[in-house]
Amino acid sequence: MKMKKVLALILSGAMVLSLAACGDSASTAAPAESAAEESQEEASVEESAEEASSTEEAAAEETAESEAPAEELVTVDNDGLNVCIASEPDTLDPAFNSAVDGATMLVHLFSGLAKWTQDENGAFQIVPDAAEELPEGVVNEDGTVTYTYTLRDGMKWSDGKDVTAADFAYAWQRAGNVGTGGDYYYMFEAVKGYDEEDPNAVLDVQATDDKTLVVTLNNAVAYWNELLAFPVFFPVREDVVANESWATDASTYVCNGAYTISDWKHNSVITLTKNENYVDADEVTMPIINFFLSDDANNMLTNFKNGDWKLVDDVPTNEIASLKAEYPDNFKIEGQIGTYYVCWNVNEDILPEGSGLEGADAENARAEIRNAISLLFDRNYIVNDIAQGGQVPASSFVAMGMTEPDGSEFYKNAGTADAYDGYYNVAEDALEENFNTAMEVLKKYYEFDESTQQFTNFPKMTYLYNTSEAHKAIGEYLQMALAGVGITMDMENQEWATFLNTRKQGDYSIARNGWLADYNDPICFLDMWTTASGNNDVQFGRGAHAEAKVYSLDLTDVGQDVKVENGTWAETYDVLISAIKSETDPEKRFAMMHKAEDLLMQTGCICPLYFYTDLFMVDDTLQGFFSNPLGYKYFMYCHY
Amino acid sequence: MSQKTLKYILKRIILAIFTVWVVITVTFFVMHSVPGGPFVGEKAVTEAVQKQMEAKYGLDKPLMEQYWTYLTDVVQFKFGPSLKQRGRMVIDIMADGLRTSVKLGVIAAVLALIVGVVLGSVAALRRNTVLDRIIMIITTAFVSMPSFIMGSLLLVAFAIKTHLFPANGSTPAGLVLPVITLALYPMSYITRLTRSSMLDVLGQDYIRTAKAKGVSRVKMIFVHALKNALIPVITYFGPMLAYIVTGSLVVEQIFAVPGIGRAFVSSITNRDYMMIMGTTIVLAVLIVIMNLISDILYKVVDPRINLE
Repeated sequence: MKMKKVLALILSGAMVLSLAACGDSASTAAPAESAAEESQEEASVEESAEEASSTEEAAAEETAESEAPAEELVTVDNDGLNVCIASEPDTLDPAFNSAVDGATMLVHLFSGLAKWTQDENGAFQIVPDAAEELPEGVVNEDGTVTYTYTLRDGMKWSDGKDVTAADFAYAWQRAGNVGTGGDYYYMFEAVKGYDEEDPNAVLDVQATDDKTLVVTLNNAVAYWNELLAFPVFFPVREDVVANESWATDASTYVCNGAYTISDWKHNSVITLTKNENYVDADEVTMPIINFFLSDDANNMLTNFKNGDWKLVDDVPTNEIASLKAEYPDNFKIEGQIGTYYVCWNVNEDILPEGSGLEGADAENARAEIRNAISLLFDRNYIVNDIAQGGQVPASSFVAMGMTEPDGSEFYKNAGTADAYDGYYNVAEDALEENFNTAMEVLKKYYEFDESTQQFTNFPKMTYLYNTSEAHKAIGEYLQMALAGVGITMDMENQEWATFLNTRKQGDYSIARNGWLADYNDPICFLDMWTTASGNNDVQFGRGAHAEAKVYSLDLTDVGQDVKVENGTWAETYDVLISAIKSETDPEKRFAMMHKAEDLLMQTGCICPLYFYTDLFMVDDTLQGFFSNPLGYKYFMYCHY
Repeated sequence: MSQKTLKYILKRIILAIFTVWVVITVTFFVMHSVPGGPFVGEKAVTEAVQKQMEAKYGLDKPLMEQYWTYLTDVVQFKFGPSLKQRGRMVIDIMADGLRTSVKLGVIAAVLALIVGVVLGSVAALRRNTVLDRIIMIITTAFVSMPSFIMGSLLLVAFAIKTHLFPANGSTPAGLVLPVITLALYPMSYITRLTRSSMLDVLGQDYIRTAKAKGVSRVKMIFVHALKNALIPVITYFGPMLAYIVTGSLVVEQIFAVPGIGRAFVSSITNRDYMMIMGTTIVLAVLIVIMNLISDILYKVVDPRINLE
């Protein structure tokens, strides 16, 4: 009995405890026991319901509040022109910009001494902009050349202050100094006083009064006027750029061009509004331009298709064929000065084991082999079936679009053969002949199995490319073409920044490469291959190649006392490039540049595939739009 | 709140700080060991400029010193300047991104909760009817479809074919599609959760008691049944927010929404060290806080759960 009583006590105690626990908060399963408890619960539910609805209201109010100002900022309820050329620019400071999309915005925002225009026939011209005219330089006794520019009257900054020659002088000293840290400071290389490494160097640029700017160059530069139209030469004002983040916000951005930034919603849209202070404001027909910021080609295309954006500067590669058919009037292919190519690591040994070749013989053999392999590729197939963007098969490195002093195309004069342009014949019907030539050369060095028609002892190579469907497709074609003759090439892709690093360090055997011109002069394709250049991915003159004495240079025909037989890369190519840079006679200069390209192509390390084109979609009702050979797009003269 | 709970929360906060520190350390050293740097491009800058920039941002110092400098800066909430977007501070770029991302995330979460609970309850109350079946089939489809496919489908249907919404996520109207894409998965999950737990609750004795006592149907459903049926839904809150944070990385990319997810992805491609660290820390802190809140919520709604 006692035991039972104890047990009952314990049990009831446990029940009480458990009930108390249930009452602690909203219980999981305990049903409401009494009416009193029920009503209490009801009340609490109603209360919490009220609370919930009020917080919901508050939340709704909050979202409404937070969305309202955002709407003002983001929606572009103006009649402006909506375009998309790229994502958020890294910078809109003229001294720092090195991107084409940034340059496009800068040519709308600033007025430099010169600018690009297109005449009625579609030809491009460099014409004076902030300068009254673009005078010829005066040659001084020491061979330097002095240019004197007079600024136009009535030019104002977007905040109303006058534009002075001192602003230009300041901007050039800033942009041309290594200490500033801009990518393109070397564009001022031609200016007297420039130094690649010394931050204390002072350029020979002076404002002699408010309207006069005087600049002295080391020697005459053929493309000087074109440089003046380049964004890095645009003026900025000292008090404006003192604020390091001046170029990141509409409120602090002061410029002197056709437009001002009226609104900058980061990563969404930059709105440019016509600058009424601009001296040529009456020529500007488009009052507002909205640069939407996106780098997703699919997203751009969607917005173009649904009519929101009138121009998109990128299209998905796999859509090109269908777009050409579907939008014949909108799909545009414009020339762009650039070359898509494959580069070899000059120090990669591709000779078969036990070839017995050494030193200069080995280097010459490798050059011959690399050149032979360049002949195995069908560039027309690459252009027509893979890239599909109207690209032009290439057989030289300096791209199509570069012009000689007489106006002819540089690439047409390249190479030695008369029958075709460039260094090999890339016509469709020359394919078989090229193939036979290549096989003949390769058979000299490698064992060939006649029964399978394949080489058996070509060392395995790896093709390095950056992760992208387009590059992959081209790489796979090259792989297939080589596999056809028994050469094994593996494919390796790397993420962009890693890829750039690997290629720059020369940790590859063969890699995808590409180069776009900064300005219309072949030197920007040639000076990148000097031994010390940061863009010398091939590793010319480095490592074992530094000792290879296989190059010859003869400049006596252009009146210079340089003649080298069997010299190293540094003794020939590097010497030639510096000779080109100090040559003032355009004829001789271009003759030397052809020599430089000859040397370059002789190595076989550069295998050009095609010349780039610029693909974009543009609304065909839009009039007055043009795109220059450097890929800058001009919207200021647009109208419907 | 009991002392035990407070102690637990304190312990969790310390653990959270430790987690964030581990994330910072691992990210910092992994990031610096990856080849490439913030100043490389297709066109190489000269060595002199490279040196100039590295000196400016302190990247020329020994790695341990950089790490220590960064840690001391970060505890004072100094995230430094962006290495890629010249002249902008990491904190400003992140604030811009967060404003958009939070809006996107909160709307998606609220939408998922409301629609999910309503649909789930309807399905449970109309159990085994055609309506129930339709809801179940649709939600099963949404639960099993990854967001990048959902996003692309919505783009084709509503932006390209019908032009109902813009494809670009940088305008308020443009947020509609990303919100739907982001909300569909948690919404479907909540629907299914609500349905099964509602069915469970409706079969309980106390509901029968309430019925027997003549409680009205509306009151029975909303007051007695739904309240208890929602407990599993509340516990799903934490995982859902974590899903929304990570899911936005993909969705922001598809719809070009200028949020923090997109900033995070592009900072890695750009090797913008300061941005990588900043966004990693913010996302890590977000997820850690979500988990903490969700664990505490467990305790609040169901005292039977032992926090230890």
